[in-house]
Amino acid sequence: MSRTISLVDFRVGFVDMLPACVGLVPFGLVTGIGAAGAGANWAGALGMSAIIFSGAAQIIAAQLFAVGAPVAVIILTCFVAGLRFLMYSAAMAPYLQSVPARWQRSVAFLLTDQVFAAAIRRFDIADDAHAGVSQALGGGLALYLSWQCTNMAGFAAGASIPASWSLEFAVPLCFVALLAPGLRSTPSLLAAVVAGAAVLALKGLPMKLNLIAAGLIGIVAGTVAEIVRERWTRR
Amino acid sequence: MDAPLKLWLVIGAVGALNYLSRLSFIALFARRTIPPWLLRALRYVPAAMLTALIVPMIVAPSLQPAEQVHADLRVLAALVAGAVAFTSSSTLKTLIAGMGTLWLLQLLLPRIA
Repeated sequence: MSRTISLVDFRVGFVDMLPACVGLVPFGLVTGIGAAGAGANWAGALGMSAIIFSGAAQIIAAQLFAVGAPVAVIILTCFVAGLRFLMYSAAMAPYLQSVPARWQRSVAFLLTDQVFAAAIRRFDIADDAHAGVSQALGGGLALYLSWQCTNMAGFAAGASIPASWSLEFAVPLCFVALLAPGLRSTPSLLAAVVAGAAVLALKGLPMKLNLIAAGLIGIVAGTVAEIVRERWTRR
Repeated sequence: MDAPLKLWLVIGAVGALNYLSRLSFIALFARRTIPPWLLRALRYVPAAMLTALIVPMIVAPSLQPAEQVHADLRVLAALVAGAVAFTSSSTLKTLIAGMGTLWLLQLLLPRIA
């Protein structure tokens, strides 16, 4: 394992992530607007995007902060909503076993939904840890820089964007773009449908616990469906 | 507690927990093998977790009952966006399709109703 990252792959990762960066412009703007709405100053808004670096967590934090929720509740809610990172981390782990610890830490810091999706696609094609990590770092940096810019632009624009534009709808659309291309097998489709039904059925749970509960239920549904399908075709 | 201090407390704690979540298994499993059943289950994390995040934002974005019709428009727009995402795998095309459909429906609806 080389001790330095591959600049060629770093650049490939950076460039490959640019369309996703463009796609995330509205998400970044919405998140920045959310920070302004919560009454943060520019340093606070930049702190949220630079340190938390997670659209979902930033939006939840800003919304709860705006309604005056206690610090502990805000922190716990964001942690629960961010539990999916535990699973992303676990999915990435087998590919990162051979790389230096500082690269592991860097990839971990940049491991957002988009970087995860791109990296898993990349590792599915070829299990080349050195090239894969270099690309993940390049893509992660592209996403990190554009995220700071769009967040600050949204913060500056603040409340001057009319609500009738429904810009907040761009947030779920960004996730749809990430999700839909992966739904090409029956178990994946079932995992999604079950998770979607469960998240609505469990809406009564406090602190957005329905997100993680529905996610776990969907994962079980997909796994069981795959096992059943295997048994079925073996007969 | 004054507001700026409270915000920075949130930023520091949420940022640290986020980072530790992202690092957890990468560091923990660095010298272990992940059991096959866990690997199998992890394949369904994106499909299940992303759907769980998306659905409430589209169906129930904390609106008053009077705005329920807008939620229905969102579902329609999201389905169009989903179809575009499935066939094109493009974030930008998905956004254009979804936002375009929503704006068109919002523009047309007052004239029909």
